[in-house]
Amino acid sequence: MTNSTASGAMDRLLAAGADPAAHAPGPAVGYVCSYVPEEIILAAGLHPVRLGARPGPTGPADSRLQSFSCSFARALLDGLLSGRWNGLEGFVFAYTCDSLRAAFESWRISAPPGRLVHFLNLPARIEGPGVLDYAASEMRRLSEALGGVDGAHPPTPDDLAWAIGLIGAVRQNLEGLARVRRARPDLLPGSTYMAMARGAAVLDRREAATLTAAVADELTAAMGATVSPSRTPSGAPPRPGGGRPRVLVLGGYLETEEPLRLIEESGADIVSDDLCLGGRRLEFGAGDDSDPYRRLAAMYLGRTPCPTKHPPDRRFEEIRSRATTDGVDGAIFLLQKFCDPHAFDYPALRDTLAEAGVPSLVIEVELGAVSTGQARTRLEAFIETLRQTARTSRGPGHPRGAAAGARGPAASRAGRGGGRM
Amino acid sequence: MSEPVREIAQDRRLTVDRELKGLILKHYMSAFRAKSPLGRKPVAWVTSGAPVEILLALGILPVYPENYGALVASRKAALPYCEAAEQAGYSLDLCAYARTNIGTFLLGQGELGGRPLPPPDLLVAAKNICDVVVKWWEVAARHFGCPLFILDTPYAADGLNPDQVAYVKGQLEDLVVFASKAARRRVPSKEAFESKLSEVLELTRQTVSLWNGIQALRQASPTPASALDMFTNMFPIVTLRGTKTCVDYYRKVTEELSERVKQGYGAVPLEKYRLIWDNIAIWYDFDLVRYLHARGAAFVGETYTDAWGIYDFDPSDAHDPLQAMARQYSLILLNIGLGIRKERLFRMVRSQRADGVVFHSCRSCKTYSLGQYELARAVRDELGLPTLVIEADMADSRAYSAGPTATRVDAFLEILAGKA
Ligand code: SF4
Ligand code: SF4
Repeated sequence: MTNSTASGAMDRLLAAGADPAAHAPGPAVGYVCSYVPEEIILAAGLHPVRLGARPGPTGPADSRLQSFSCSFARALLDGLLSGRWNGLEGFVFAYTCDSLRAAFESWRISAPPGRLVHFLNLPARIEGPGVLDYAASEMRRLSEALGGVDGAHPPTPDDLAWAIGLIGAVRQNLEGLARVRRARPDLLPGSTYMAMARGAAVLDRREAATLTAAVADELTAAMGATVSPSRTPSGAPPRPGGGRPRVLVLGGYLETEEPLRLIEESGADIVSDDLCLGGRRLEFGAGDDSDPYRRLAAMYLGRTPCPTKHPPDRRFEEIRSRATTDGVDGAIFLLQKFCDPHAFDYPALRDTLAEAGVPSLVIEVELGAVSTGQARTRLEAFIETLRQTARTSRGPGHPRGAAAGARGPAASRAGRGGGRM
Repeated sequence: MSEPVREIAQDRRLTVDRELKGLILKHYMSAFRAKSPLGRKPVAWVTSGAPVEILLALGILPVYPENYGALVASRKAALPYCEAAEQAGYSLDLCAYARTNIGTFLLGQGELGGRPLPPPDLLVAAKNICDVVVKWWEVAARHFGCPLFILDTPYAADGLNPDQVAYVKGQLEDLVVFASKAARRRVPSKEAFESKLSEVLELTRQTVSLWNGIQALRQASPTPASALDMFTNMFPIVTLRGTKTCVDYYRKVTEELSERVKQGYGAVPLEKYRLIWDNIAIWYDFDLVRYLHARGAAFVGETYTDAWGIYDFDPSDAHDPLQAMARQYSLILLNIGLGIRKERLFRMVRSQRADGVVFHSCRSCKTYSLGQYELARAVRDELGLPTLVIEADMADSRAYSAGPTATRVDAFLEILAGKA
């Protein structure tokens, strides 16, 4: 793999993430929420596009949803109502929260006739009696609904097995990239990683698999060339990147990478995340092969849970352990304004992280952005305290110092405006 | 506050209201007694859509933090508790009932003789009213370290399918075991339990049929009861559903309202307009409703109070009470699709012969409020009736300003006058 291939691959992923409507091949079905199994859409011969929301003030949605629904739901509905996605054959929503449920209800009143508008009525519980059976029945219902879409066919077990394999490959590559980000955020900044992950939820998944593999291979090789020990003597991952504090970012679906860039510009490296398009998309349950829908149900019930899923214990535990294994100095909560599920978890998660020695900061996000002025000041102050604590606890001999100043090929793409939708 | 003085109507209170005060007091006192050294009765914190009949059949006392929130809000006392929750990191955009409850247990203070709700032995929340209660009950479970049961009711967007009913029914079976264990009771035999459960369900059914009868009495002109009577009188059907006390009480309400109808005595003097209220009450500003009353506008129905009339368990499911419950608890107002909700609203508008609909857009309660713009549009376009949307909150008065609201009410009344 040559450098230019990887660089072209990255550009293509970033472009797709920045302008999904222009990059989705047809016949396509848009979906909202990462609990919607892309696998079933693919297996039906359709193309899955993760529907985002355009940042900025909303228009037609303002007369449908009150301003206290989360801005993600409103902006999503706005994109739908303004005809941005009229090229799609169908729309799949998932049951997560009250805001998204309301966006679905509004959209099914207004969607162009003849399009599929499906509500994937997944359980809120991820364990307990009947959960797997019920989730599988909902997966099957989705499959039946998709089979009736123009240009689609009812998925066969072979189609599903193929699709599970393909999505698995994309995921694995994203995991490879996450490893690079973790070890060398100077080579792959968190914002660029997330922009690529966004693109991988838009492009043809075969192409997405090839492109993510190309970038992962290239960056992994570059990483091997510049950093010798993959782990420090203490067992923690190395800390290169110019001595910048390493942070974990938590939140929901970000409409843009803007808030992540702001964190990086304020002086921290994002090496780990619990975000909808990022970390929560990597780990899935295994499931057995007996029936493809049961298998998919087990995979999705077993994935890193989001706050709309109950019980919350595994989510808390995974975040706590990620903070530790990824060797972060601090955590930043990007709270979507009016998002109940995340807001309820925040105080306890903050305390859980604090007990694990990880201080945190909370910043509100609305319409895809933070209220920049004040947020920047708070971020800079927080990151400065992280830097000071890290310096006193780490001392001058810390491996992080070694890679000071080394910025890799990916860094240049993380600049402002690079991945705006 | 320097709000302009609003001219309001004197309430024509029901005489049963006096008894109601006693019921409320007794309910909360019994909860405190249950937790006293001699009490020995387990207390469950439940949501308003929780299948309480199961708990009652097991001898567990349910208490309702939401109802407690309404009680605190109607005393205009929610703010300090909300602020305590906000101090602890809970966003001020979260449901004010939740913030009130969290605030009271964090502070260890409240409005029941200075006390918060008695601590729970077990926690039971049903998702059928909102996603909020799932998260709120998780917070409570962490705080009290006590067992938590979430009844997961999939969205009944277009009604129910058999997989959904089976899933919910399976959880109800599980709840029987869970609640027995959490209450340190022996798990009862299926027969014994179902026979006890059927008795409780029968009491609920009687309550609900009285309740629906009361709503039907309001079809009379003038209506014998308006929104304030109903908001306060829903306390028993919410918190005492499934008990004999509840049935007895609504018999008395029925008698009094029937008498009013016979005498043509209205809840509002000189009833001119008949309105429907959508969403939770604005507990801290009943004067808004009195302001409407003073202008001859009476409420003849509320989706909020009507919602309790849905626990009408299908007698054909009598052999399988859990199945009946699985169905009914999945079909409650806040768990049904907007299309079905619209039908229910339209039916109420027609049966109560309403002239307009007032939507309280309640900032706290997304599940109830989101979708109201679509409903209001439908009322205007399809029924040709005027609508009023009031931006407020059921408990947090910071989200509300009475003055501008009165101005908008005036404009709405002018439209009604023009139509009359
Ligand atoms: S950001 Fe929160 S409130 Fe909004 S759609 Fe996602 S989970 Fe729901
Ligand atoms: S969000 Fe609404 S339904 Fe849920 S607890 Fe709050 S007021 Fe009740």
